[in-house]
Amino acid sequence: MKELNFTVNGSLHSVSCHPAKTLLDVLREDLDMTASKECCGKGECGSCSVLLNGEVVCSCLVLVGQLENEEITTCEGIGLTANMDVIQESFVEEGATQCGYCTPGIIVASKAFLKNIDQVPTIDEIKTALGGNLCRCTGYTKIINAIQMAAKKELQEKGAMPAV
Amino acid sequence: MKPSLNWVGKRVKRIDGPEKVTGELKYMTDYHFENMVWGKVLRAKYPYARIHSIQTEKARQLPGVICVLTHEDIPGFNGFGIVIPDQPVLASDIVRCTGDAVALVAAETQEIAEQALRLIEVDYELLEAITDAELAMSSSAPKLHPDGNIHSHVKIINGDTDAAFKEADIIIENTFYSPRQMHAFIETEGGWGVMDDEGLITIRCPGQYAYRDRMQIARALAYNPELIRVISSPIGGAFGGKDEITVQIYLALLAMYTNGRPVKIHLSREESVIAGIKRHPFKVQMRTAAKKDGTLLANEVRAVADTGAYASLGGAVIALAIEHSCGPYKIPNVNLEGFCVYTNNGISGAFRGFGVNQVCIGIETHLDMIAEQLELDPVEIRKKNVYHQGDISSMGHVVKTSVGTFKTLEIAENCDLWKNRSQFKKEVSEPWKKRGVALATSFHGIGMGIGLPDYGAASIELLPNGKFLVAVGCEEIGGGNGTTYAQIAAEILNCDISKIKVVQGDTSKTLDGGTVTASRSTYTGGRAVAAAAPKMIKLLTSAAAEILQVPLSDIIVQRDCLTAKEESLTYKAIYEYLYIHHKPAKVEGHFLLPKEKVEIKGSGGAPHHLYGYLTHVVMVEVDTLTGETDVLRVVSIPDAGKVINPQGLEGQAEGGAVMGIGYTLYEDVIIEEGFHKTKNFTDYIIPTIRETPVIETFPVEDAEQTGPFGAKGIGEVVMIPIIPAIMSAIYDATGARIYHLPATPERIFNALKDVKNKMPNIQGDKNDE
Repeated sequence: MKELNFTVNGSLHSVSCHPAKTLLDVLREDLDMTASKECCGKGECGSCSVLLNGEVVCSCLVLVGQLENEEITTCEGIGLTANMDVIQESFVEEGATQCGYCTPGIIVASKAFLKNIDQVPTIDEIKTALGGNLCRCTGYTKIINAIQMAAKKELQEKGAMPAV
Repeated sequence: MKPSLNWVGKRVKRIDGPEKVTGELKYMTDYHFENMVWGKVLRAKYPYARIHSIQTEKARQLPGVICVLTHEDIPGFNGFGIVIPDQPVLASDIVRCTGDAVALVAAETQEIAEQALRLIEVDYELLEAITDAELAMSSSAPKLHPDGNIHSHVKIINGDTDAAFKEADIIIENTFYSPRQMHAFIETEGGWGVMDDEGLITIRCPGQYAYRDRMQIARALAYNPELIRVISSPIGGAFGGKDEITVQIYLALLAMYTNGRPVKIHLSREESVIAGIKRHPFKVQMRTAAKKDGTLLANEVRAVADTGAYASLGGAVIALAIEHSCGPYKIPNVNLEGFCVYTNNGISGAFRGFGVNQVCIGIETHLDMIAEQLELDPVEIRKKNVYHQGDISSMGHVVKTSVGTFKTLEIAENCDLWKNRSQFKKEVSEPWKKRGVALATSFHGIGMGIGLPDYGAASIELLPNGKFLVAVGCEEIGGGNGTTYAQIAAEILNCDISKIKVVQGDTSKTLDGGTVTASRSTYTGGRAVAAAAPKMIKLLTSAAAEILQVPLSDIIVQRDCLTAKEESLTYKAIYEYLYIHHKPAKVEGHFLLPKEKVEIKGSGGAPHHLYGYLTHVVMVEVDTLTGETDVLRVVSIPDAGKVINPQGLEGQAEGGAVMGIGYTLYEDVIIEEGFHKTKNFTDYIIPTIRETPVIETFPVEDAEQTGPFGAKGIGEVVMIPIIPAIMSAIYDATGARIYHLPATPERIFNALKDVKNKMPNIQGDKNDE
């Protein structure tokens, strides 16, 4: 057992556990943040995606012992129902979630992708960025639409694009 | 003029959307309790072996272990299975597949539980595994079950095929092989079980029919079902893979031995691959006869399905396959036969499409081959042979409900992709790639066949806050049926959809309304809600008349309130009146799904009263150097009756198309000598966002009179015709026919090589094996 300190969604957390426990298990079991899901446990599916210092990682492949003083953002940190992020709103509007089990990971990956670009991404760019997130329900079409819609809305808010 | 609709037919946003996109929604596998323990399952070491003894002492003595259970600890019947319970909960004397459970452990941590599993000693005597369905059918094969290896046999004969084949101008004959597809739901099987001080057992586990899960748990535990609560919704994906019992009985058994502490099981993906059911691999032999003008004369089918070690829904799958094996066509002479066969290859069962996927590749490929030889247009030959409402099907029954196939074909031939296909085919991305465009059509029964109970039930309760609680048994599997129920309720109650709350899949809160399977939950659950809502209107109206002391006829149901002359009542005010006067605030609606009266002899439950229909048009691009194939464009043209929510329908059409692409091009769970070679998503490839094509959906909105607002079902047919459409598009692009799915680069490459070498015979089974 070891005492570990790191930031999750802006709050400092102190967790006492084995340093070889995965970040995913710590989030779900020690911090009761269950938006991040385990699906393959091998870094193949992206259901457990979180941001580690702003970069997307599979939290099932990160050991909590590696995280001293690091910053984690989960889907809950991107927005909750009371204050949804524009990406989350766009996913609801476009119907880009079905069973929803993969959705938090996809929201996280979309957030990381969109924060680095200042235009509406092409379909191919979205396909490259989201290639690591499996979804079995939607066929991805509405996910592509939702990401484009979110990018448009963000640009409109910045005044970089006229509102339609 | 029809009254305009406020909610039905509109792109209403999913009511569970915000909770899903923020991750706030708790799935059954997300719950966490302070005093929890972990459950683990010991699976069989061999696909077929006799058990001489199971020693658990060492495991029991391991510190941190709470209990170790074997077949001896099962209080009731040691078996489960939807149709016949031939799968042991915990194996006693024999194991028939590596998914068989032999023992259960509950421990303080997952690590201790896993260590305990390793300390359980099972003395096995190895038996030779039966891994080929055709061999399993032979009289010399060892019997895996007391009644032999043929679990079920269906045979439909109509007309005179022998005479018809003699008259035929053209006869096509081929053999088709299809893979063992994995559902690959993102949430693996798992959940919680707990028993309280009074003996009430609560099981939280995603499943597709809470009441039946409860029955199966009660049977194994010899326990009063009234003392078992099953919460089965929401589900992180299922597609048929959570129709059968997954871990519910294990959870309930462990909960009896953990002194009131909640026990959790959540399968790893690797365990899910081994223990979870799969789509039946089929071998389909088909012989089809036609006249010179393209009129279909006869069809002969022999299908053999590998159901693995246990029945589950295998018998129903093969029955549905045979019922659908001639497509939505009127073929006057048919001889159709199917066998569902036990082997030691895991377990097969329900999966979106339910047998129709495997047979539609035969009839649709044959339609294209006949059209080509007779120089007919693929649309024309289909239009010529499809049945219409009131026509006689290939099985010989009159189709009484709506049939949209002809309209879907009309839309198909007029869509951009089909009309301009010769142009699109020229626009290859590389000179060595070739493009092809093809179409196919299919259908799928809605609801259960003859002989099975099929009913919907819903309740609507006025809540203290003035909202309505709509309760339907059918779980939220992901398709959005909860939003559909809310739309139907809001439409009839004449209220804003925000006033509707929906609860699903909870034996303590929802009535028994059957499964969320068989493309039935919008149709059946929707009709039940539509039956309950007018009763709620009546309840509200009566209360309003009493409150305002006016005749019933003076009450007007307005948007979000009820009025009489100058006065208006909110739902909240009505609730308060009902509460004070001890009057009920809850109504129920029930619906019996209409059935055909006469079962087709030997069919195992055919025909269905109602079918959904769909035509797919696809464009593929084949890399002639590697055999790799991309599906670039898909047009999906469903006849689902009136569309309740176009966004939800598109979601089904898009998801189904991509699942169909995976089935056709990539997916197969490899089992060798009874052992799974496929382990996880590292070696089981499902389509990613990079493989997703441009998908357009053009529904044929032909209202079905018996459905809620004219709706039928959509969940399964969306992944079916795309399969033969891709196969035919590969042929259109390259001249190579594929008879063995998945159409991997290797298979396509070899087929291309055969075409190049101008092999005299490029027929399926001869060239493929």
